[in-house]
Amino acid sequence: MTELAVDALTSRAGGRTIVDRVSFDVAAGEVVAVIGPNGAGKTTLLEGIVGLRPTGGRVRVRGRLLESFADRAASFAFAPDDATLPQEALVATLVDHAGAHRPRRAAITGALHRDLRLDPLLSRSAGVLSRGERKRVALYVALAADRPVVVLDEPFGAFDPLQLREVRDVVRSIALAGAAVLVSIHQLADAERIADRALLLSDGHRIAFGTIDAIRAQAGGSAGSLEDAFIALLSPSGERDAS
Amino acid sequence: MHRELAIALRARVTWLVAALAALLVGHGFVLAVDLFSSASRSALAGSLQPREMDPLVGVVRPTLGVVDLALVLLGPIVAARVVSVEKERGSFGALCLQVGSTTTVLLRKLLAAACATSLLVLPAAACLVAYRLAGGHVDPIETAVATLGEILHLGVVVAVSIAAAAWTSTFAQAAAVAVVFSLTSWMIDAGEGFAALAWLGRAEAWSVERHVAVFQRGVIGLGPIAWLLVATAAAIALAIVGARIDLLIRRRAVVALSISVIAIALLAAVGQVRRAYDWTEERRASLPPAVVAALRAVPAPIAVEVDLDRDDSRRRQLESDVLAKLLLTRPDADVAFPLDARGDTAAGAHDGGYGRIVIRVGDALRETRSTSRKELVTLVLEAAGASSPDWTMPPYPGFPAVVEGTSRRVVALAAYGFFPLAFLGTGLVVSRRRTGR
Repeated sequence: MTELAVDALTSRAGGRTIVDRVSFDVAAGEVVAVIGPNGAGKTTLLEGIVGLRPTGGRVRVRGRLLESFADRAASFAFAPDDATLPQEALVATLVDHAGAHRPRRAAITGALHRDLRLDPLLSRSAGVLSRGERKRVALYVALAADRPVVVLDEPFGAFDPLQLREVRDVVRSIALAGAAVLVSIHQLADAERIADRALLLSDGHRIAFGTIDAIRAQAGGSAGSLEDAFIALLSPSGERDAS
Repeated sequence: MHRELAIALRARVTWLVAALAALLVGHGFVLAVDLFSSASRSALAGSLQPREMDPLVGVVRPTLGVVDLALVLLGPIVAARVVSVEKERGSFGALCLQVGSTTTVLLRKLLAAACATSLLVLPAAACLVAYRLAGGHVDPIETAVATLGEILHLGVVVAVSIAAAAWTSTFAQAAAVAVVFSLTSWMIDAGEGFAALAWLGRAEAWSVERHVAVFQRGVIGLGPIAWLLVATAAAIALAIVGARIDLLIRRRAVVALSISVIAIALLAAVGQVRRAYDWTEERRASLPPAVVAALRAVPAPIAVEVDLDRDDSRRRQLESDVLAKLLLTRPDADVAFPLDARGDTAAGAHDGGYGRIVIRVGDALRETRSTSRKELVTLVLEAAGASSPDWTMPPYPGFPAVVEGTSRRVVALAAYGFFPLAFLGTGLVVSRRRTGR
């Protein structure tokens, strides 16, 4: 069942079109990765979907057109890329704050708490956390919110390979719990491991959208990696599926 | 709220600014106490009337005056930061989504900012307690009225700072915008007492400080309360619109313009409300009770026209004394300064009519050049056909107090050392980053 449907989303800034009529959908329980080169419009797309910047086009969640910010807030949990936590606050304060705003069931938040290994961090100020620790807390804050669609902007950048596997599993577990997960990923290997489908953006345009295999096929070779497909599709001779 | 309070109260800059404000307020307080002590010595030696020794004027008002300065210059640093750091850290949008409403986030931030900014007012309260302990007299009611003015001022500063933060991207931009707003108010006040700046006279009604000053006289003015509350509400409304990151800037600007127009109209309307209540000890901001009763019994409208320039000391004396007291008694009285409307102030000064005070009560007209309180009020009553009432005032003994020797040293030590260091120490403890190890 389609949980999130994005139709011709467009975002402009400073007279420039950053995202141009991008359409795609995400089903409940599915992880869709947004991939693309730097400056492709990944962050702008995600921020536009969740309502943090004015956009054209339509966004529907469970078939309902989202018109107000309140609609978006009721539909999306969001973890921005570069956001830092309030350095002055204790991690316990941030966890409590997340728990005070429509959290998921206790069993899920408890599992998130355990899997993101928050216990040793609770008595610490957010300002003294390492980058990976901060990212774990930020992920908890976003994933603990009971919303049908979870949008994560570059959630995997701060982790070593061991932690990365754990965090990928955590994101997967939220999808398994029924959420639609839309996640922008810079490392294509990560996208290949976690995503059911991928949306390839370049220069604000949708270049490809589908399963990893379908994207490989669109690039003209089903045996190569996603990285090979990425390079092939973004080379000057690459073919756009939406223009 | 814990999250927002942590951002406001666990930040080092909040306590550093509070310590700086404590030092400023402490300095103003010590200067006021020294001057008041010096005048008190003369009063106790018989050179001055002890009843002229008014601690509200001599100690409370100068101390709170420095609080005004601290609020205007340092308040935005504390208040705007609560919103601005979220924007600079990139977490504001995600927070709004998490909470579900930008308005809720902003109102929580506003409360947290108000809590943090109120630290700038605390040193004044501590100083006045110190003065009381050193043997000075502080009337709790009139001091509470004066403090109410500071609290309302704090509300305006916090709301404007939050609005500035909501409309800008960085802390520096927000603090600069908020300080510029406050300085505009000062610029208007700068016109007071200068004939050459008479053209600024019409803007007086838009000065925040002018509305706050009423409370520092121990008077509760309904107009100033309404004005400061409307200004605060307007700034909050602008902040809510400014924070709507989901709306196009053009749409936000149109809504903000509409709010501004409504706010200006409301401020202009409530600025006309002159009803005020004297809460000073022995009602010394008012005329004698019998005179008040006689003036209130005058059925005809009262108008006073004063042909004096803004830089004439007689005019300042009239405005701060008899005209203020007349308006307290008869808020409907019309007081005009025709020379303010003239561009050529020098010509006014040479006019034969300069210095004239014309009193109209209904159709009756009286004229004088005296600035004596008794003379002017008697002329009003005479024009109204009323007899001169009893001018006996309730006895205000005055409270001369010489703070010297050990008391002076302790007061100075508290003002310059203890209070600022207490804020610094508290800040160091509260803002300490907890490593949890």
